[in-house]
Amino acid sequence: MATVHTPPASADGPRARIQRLGGHLSGMVMPNIGAFIAWGVITALFIPSGWLPDKEFAELVDPMARFLLPVLIGYTGGGMVHGRRGALVGAVATMGVVAGADIPMFLGAMVAGPLAAYLMRLVDERTDGRVRPGFEMLVENFSAGLVGAATAMAGHAVVGPVMRTVTDRAADAVEWLVDRDVLPVASVLIEPAKVLFLNNAVNHGVLDPLAVQQSAEHGKSILFTLETNPGPGLGVLLAYLFFGPRRLRPSTPAAIVIQFFGGIHELYFPYILMKPRMVLATIAGGATGTAIFMMFGTGLVAPPAPGSIFAYLAQTPRGASNWVGVYTGMLASAAVSFTVGSALLGFGRFAGDDAADEPADGTEPDAVPPGEAPSGDLPSDGGAPGVTVPEEDAPGTSAPQPASY
Amino acid sequence: MMTSINGKDVRKLVIACDAGMGSSVMLAGQLRRSLRGQDVAVEHAAVDAIPGDADVVVCHARLADRARVGASGRVVVPFAMYLGDPALDRVVAAIRDGGDLRG
Repeated sequence: MATVHTPPASADGPRARIQRLGGHLSGMVMPNIGAFIAWGVITALFIPSGWLPDKEFAELVDPMARFLLPVLIGYTGGGMVHGRRGALVGAVATMGVVAGADIPMFLGAMVAGPLAAYLMRLVDERTDGRVRPGFEMLVENFSAGLVGAATAMAGHAVVGPVMRTVTDRAADAVEWLVDRDVLPVASVLIEPAKVLFLNNAVNHGVLDPLAVQQSAEHGKSILFTLETNPGPGLGVLLAYLFFGPRRLRPSTPAAIVIQFFGGIHELYFPYILMKPRMVLATIAGGATGTAIFMMFGTGLVAPPAPGSIFAYLAQTPRGASNWVGVYTGMLASAAVSFTVGSALLGFGRFAGDDAADEPADGTEPDAVPPGEAPSGDLPSDGGAPGVTVPEEDAPGTSAPQPASY
Repeated sequence: MMTSINGKDVRKLVIACDAGMGSSVMLAGQLRRSLRGQDVAVEHAAVDAIPGDADVVVCHARLADRARVGASGRVVVPFAMYLGDPALDRVVAAIRDGGDLRG
């Protein structure tokens, strides 16, 4: 039973630490997704290649990407470190990073915002309780103002140029991968990382910042699709629906609806965690989708968040090849993932057996760094596909009911 | 370091996920429905920002380590499946009918 067999809190295990770092990165972006979508809608509609080209409204596109979005990220990042005052100086410091830059400086904002807030916290800790009565407002306003001014200058002189170099290198690396047609290989890292709950970290912490920069330049980016394509997860869930353990089947259709239409990919993670080799299905599906997206030279305008088919429909740029590419890629990724997943499930030959060959409750050793999971997570029992090792008490095997609560 | 609480003493049940925006919102909605009429607040949160007055925290087993950092001394109930997990049914039953929750 999950409530009894859980190991003592190893809160600083590598998995928890990587997750938490990722949580910090994605935590700066995710609360602001609404602004990203607003920018995406305006971009998709009004740029010259958009649905309703309009010179006036298109003037919004560039300032939103270069100023609004990074400042929101710096604000949120600062707030995570030191509340409202941290958010305030985080926003001011980010302004130093973005001023004069000709690309959206998301990575710079993710550094400058929290750093400025940390400095603000140090200052507040020093002045706390030492201000003469009646002078609190004066001290608070001016300490924030001076920290903001200093960090904005430091952001402009130091953080900006440094992060500009980092961003350029990262963009070069992505371009290198695209030019050599090896971007699909990214699925080997992304799909295992996703089911280890690094999905938001990978997508919003790493890919979004680079993707928005590409989209601001070219009106679309394939990087938005790498983690968010709902096809591979759909394929795995369909494989379970037709060939998975019978007792899991009743709840699978609801999981499909929530995953594919609601965009909450977490719903399919347990189906992979209980049979880790199933990650090969999503890797194959994800790589297929990316390869087809690349073939058509397609991408999305803004983050499809959450990764639902509806978000995709809203963020697909105008143009037949864009639409054909995105939805061919998505369908193909689902089909490949379904086929590989079904084969790994032995096409239902073991449907009556126990559901899991690994406990799905996270009791296995911590050290499964993203990227090593495909080999490291595979059963070492010489497990040919479909061979199940009975595992008593693994939650998820004990006859789940259809969603009823 | 096992803590426990009687379901009848639970005033705030928090469902946590990585961002506190997706799956936790969905599960909180479901649990709120099945706990309608009970004297318990059902909320959702990011796993790294669990409210201090949460009596019981529910999250996916893969996130339980992180939840325990912010919810030390409180009961953390891990689950494996988002739909139809018996651990979730047990939480509902304990709050509705009384009974110990451990974790």
